[in-house]
Amino acid sequence: MTHAVGIDVGGTFTDLAAIAADGVVRTRKVLSTPDDQSRGVAAALDAFGAAPGEIRRVAHGTTVVTNLLLERRGARVVLCATAGATDLLELRRQERASLYDLSVGHPTPLVASDDVIAVRERREPDGVRLALTDDEITRVVAEAAARDPQVIVVALLHAYADGAHETRLARALAAALPNAELVCAHEVLPEIREYERTATAVAEGYARPAVARYLARLGQTVGERGHPAPSVMTSGGGMRTADEAARAAASLALSGPAGGVVGAAAVLRAAGFDRALTIDIGGTSADAGLILDGEPLVESGGDVAGVPIALPRVLVDTVSAGGGSIGWIDDGGALRVGPRSAGAAPGPAAFGRGGTLPTVTDANLVLSRIAPHPMSGGVSLDADASRRAVATLAERLDVTAERTAQAMLNIADAEMARALRRVSVDRGVDPRSCVLMAFGGGGPLHACALADLIGTRRVLVPPHAGVLSALGLAMAPERREAATSVMERADRLDTARVAALATGLAARVEGAVRAWTARTRYVGQGYELDIACAPGDDGAVIAARFAERHRARYGFVLDRPAEVVAMRHIASSHAEPVTFSRHGAPTWDDRARVDDGSPCSAVVAGDAVITLPDATLFVASGWTARALATGGWLLERGAGEDGQ
Amino acid sequence: MTGFDPLAIRVFASSVAMIAEEMGAVLTRGSLSPNIRERRDASCALFDADGRMIAQAAHIPVHLGAMPEAVRAVRERGPAPGDVWLLNDPNHGGSHLPDLTMVAAIADAGVTIGYAAVRAHHADVGGMSPGSMPFGATELVQEGIVLPPICLAPGGVVDESLLALLLANVRTPGERRGDLAAQMSACHAGAAGWRALRARDGAALVDAGASALLDYSERRAVARLRELGDRESEAEDFLEGDGVSDDLVPVRVKLRTHDGRLTLDFAGTSPRVRGNINCPVAVTRAAALFVLRSILDDDVPTNDGIARPITILTPDDCLVAARWPSAVAAGNVETSQRITDLLFAALANAGVDAPAQGQGTMNNVTFGGAGWTFYETLGGGQGASHRGAGPSAVHVGMSNTRNTPIEALEQAYPIRVDEYAVRRGSGGRGRHAGGDGVVRRYRVLERCTVTLLTERRVRAPKGSHGGGDGTPGRNLLNGAPLPAKCRRELQPGDVLTIETPGGGAYGN
Repeated sequence: MTHAVGIDVGGTFTDLAAIAADGVVRTRKVLSTPDDQSRGVAAALDAFGAAPGEIRRVAHGTTVVTNLLLERRGARVVLCATAGATDLLELRRQERASLYDLSVGHPTPLVASDDVIAVRERREPDGVRLALTDDEITRVVAEAAARDPQVIVVALLHAYADGAHETRLARALAAALPNAELVCAHEVLPEIREYERTATAVAEGYARPAVARYLARLGQTVGERGHPAPSVMTSGGGMRTADEAARAAASLALSGPAGGVVGAAAVLRAAGFDRALTIDIGGTSADAGLILDGEPLVESGGDVAGVPIALPRVLVDTVSAGGGSIGWIDDGGALRVGPRSAGAAPGPAAFGRGGTLPTVTDANLVLSRIAPHPMSGGVSLDADASRRAVATLAERLDVTAERTAQAMLNIADAEMARALRRVSVDRGVDPRSCVLMAFGGGGPLHACALADLIGTRRVLVPPHAGVLSALGLAMAPERREAATSVMERADRLDTARVAALATGLAARVEGAVRAWTARTRYVGQGYELDIACAPGDDGAVIAARFAERHRARYGFVLDRPAEVVAMRHIASSHAEPVTFSRHGAPTWDDRARVDDGSPCSAVVAGDAVITLPDATLFVASGWTARALATGGWLLERGAGEDGQ
Repeated sequence: MTGFDPLAIRVFASSVAMIAEEMGAVLTRGSLSPNIRERRDASCALFDADGRMIAQAAHIPVHLGAMPEAVRAVRERGPAPGDVWLLNDPNHGGSHLPDLTMVAAIADAGVTIGYAAVRAHHADVGGMSPGSMPFGATELVQEGIVLPPICLAPGGVVDESLLALLLANVRTPGERRGDLAAQMSACHAGAAGWRALRARDGAALVDAGASALLDYSERRAVARLRELGDRESEAEDFLEGDGVSDDLVPVRVKLRTHDGRLTLDFAGTSPRVRGNINCPVAVTRAAALFVLRSILDDDVPTNDGIARPITILTPDDCLVAARWPSAVAAGNVETSQRITDLLFAALANAGVDAPAQGQGTMNNVTFGGAGWTFYETLGGGQGASHRGAGPSAVHVGMSNTRNTPIEALEQAYPIRVDEYAVRRGSGGRGRHAGGDGVVRRYRVLERCTVTLLTERRVRAPKGSHGGGDGTPGRNLLNGAPLPAKCRRELQPGDVLTIETPGGGAYGN
């Protein structure tokens, strides 16, 4: 039987999920290998043990780029920039790193100032003011050659509107320096704002050689086992072949977290919902995301490890609150939780690996929200150690350990709820209209409390909550993106022009399912809303949809024309069809409450603890959990109190 | 006793900080002018029913301590629940005229349960020069339209005749209307968030939480001041002219920390001056609050509680406690910076480890032509500290606005930026170098006027512990020096160059 396989590499574990043709899901968890993630991938494949031909697709989520940026281990990059604007990476946007801590600086730029070459040329909004001459090209090529760079990035002012200078210079550089990798900023990000575009192109160049090497190793590892070439998740939730991904390194910066939300979206649709807030709680952090109309919300901008990358990304708001977050008391006498984390080593006091500080996991144990079942990785939990750790805080606060533990959970929950509200309310979405989807090792533990904080009355704990990212990778459609700068008033775009733009983009990428968005704003605004459009629309239709969205999002509309800044296109294959179901002989026991994925139709009223594979579900009082035929659980507030 | 659970303070702090953040997001995304949407020259804050500031989104320090004055001024006039008020009068809750502050009385079942306030720097509010940051103004009325607290939207419905009066007095009414709509939208977001929080947790509990949170921030501030013990010191600094004369203008302070309190006596500071570097006492308070806040840990929630241990004494009608009819446009942006430098110097003189001086100016540059105005401020060098070199090319002290992207600026205005660079070597030399300033060279394509309000063009930012001084800034028109504060008519092709100061070094 053939399988679609997703492999997600996290900080501690590499997860594998395989979907068989009959919809049965099998999962594996092995330790990650941070020095070369492809070894962990190999171990996961070997643990799954499929013969050649039994896997027809391998989809991969990776943290290679994130780690590279965090550790600053990328390539030596030479940057060619317009004369007069060669310091953009140092100037950033001129705001300081911390509002009140005056000694903190920004991270050092990825290109040393000596490695920036000034190019005498200048384009302005209304055309070229200073032409790029052949003599100047010759001079720049010689300067670049003297530096013997691995990568050359060409990023010139106003190239989003006209990339001719960048292209000419890059061609000459490539011809003279055949061993250097060339990156043109207007190809990486054809959008206005020189700093963000330049920084994104530099991140691409910085990461590209290492990413290409990694993906080559990965392809070999997978190929040697007789499986098809892997494809890789992008930050935007798209899927690229390894070959394409090797030339789009910056687009992989948030491959891992994107996989989590994409996975959640796929499972959400399968469960019959289309709108959700997601919370993925791990050991050191929690990721909040938003799914609208069954698709993860994708936005542009933000930075990764202090490096701005203005490419589309699945919205993920990360806060430093997880199972390992440590509780403490500050000099104002307030109980605090995090941002320090006990991590995997020494870990929470309960792990018995040398940790003595009270963590969120310990608080959950003190309140008996985690049943004493062995966890993955052979860890068994020591509730007494947890109680001792929490008691040290409780004594200083002069309250009981239970009350201290509850207060620690409240604090961690407030931080996470804040992230959930940022991803919803800030985008004009009422959290009460969403189901809360909770996954990761800690998600199901905190789900009810978070739902109460944001006013959501339904919680979905998906099947395979502990390996949802990998499952999402296995299900995600192949997806390719293309974009073009437009910069025209909407009322001047007729049907033919919109169609020409749309079909022009469509010709650049393959896919069965096609969607276009017009990045639209009022003339004079600086932020755009992504408005769905298609061939057949004209600018007036786009402007009307824009006004409607603007009112929904900001509460007002303006009496001024709208303009379309850019058009984006997404071409995707059909999603992997999966029918989730429970399998095997029923094992459910109303007292033990262990859900191993076998058939079960239990209804459990809170307070109650249900043990899931790789996670624990806490059903709070006032909540009722129903086992889903698809696997996983649906929790509702106030419903079916008599259901037990 | 409030009866509020001390274990829940940080939970409440997260809840209210979130509401202020939501307001900020709505404002920057919906606004029109580059000054608000790109540079984020705006702040949002949430107040309880007693007018106490319980949360402010971390944007612009000069707004930080000054917003409560705005809410107080509105409350004195008895707003009805649901009203939205607007003001900019420095004598009644404002800072300088371009800062239009909107205060919404949040209604719930016919009662005011709190206030949402949004302060945003508008690119023009009329007056004698485009951009309303004039050079040479001697009276407030020259600087723009003066708005004492007015009820712009009774019950939330905009009074169109009042709005028309305001828009008839500014140079760019369409942009103002859009930015005001965004401000109103942000106030609504704050009101909705506050109502929802009270509905969820119960009004009594939330009110108790507000009191507990303010007390908590106060305790954190007092704990830090107690750690400093009993100290006394003095400091003196000077502004480089008031825009009318080039005479140095002294600012002086006596600082005392005692028993967890901080007393700042500005006796000896210049009386009010003719030009527009006067500032209302709210701005002085904001500077004091900023300096205290910067010696607290980064995680202390920003609210009125931090201000409680501070006492500010000023002589009557002083430069730093300006009254009507003083002109104040530059006071908010430049005198505030000088007070910050002064207070850090006083702390250092008292033996508290403080960073060397940063650029000490916001470098206000305003262009105005037919039908357009453009305002921006420029970063420079930060002073070094015992922990390391001063960051380069950042805003220091009371500002933290972002730059205007060259491409966005050139698309919107008949101005070209021929150079935007780090001003290498302008930071002071020493064990830890001061941060470098920036160079920004503009070429104008049309006839227009430019107004400069800058400082630290003569007197350098000082190094600390034997570290070298930063290099003073320079303003140049077609290569010839311009004064620190001036207004010039520009012809097409004219080139204006601003070189901002470097920061002082720390240690030799």
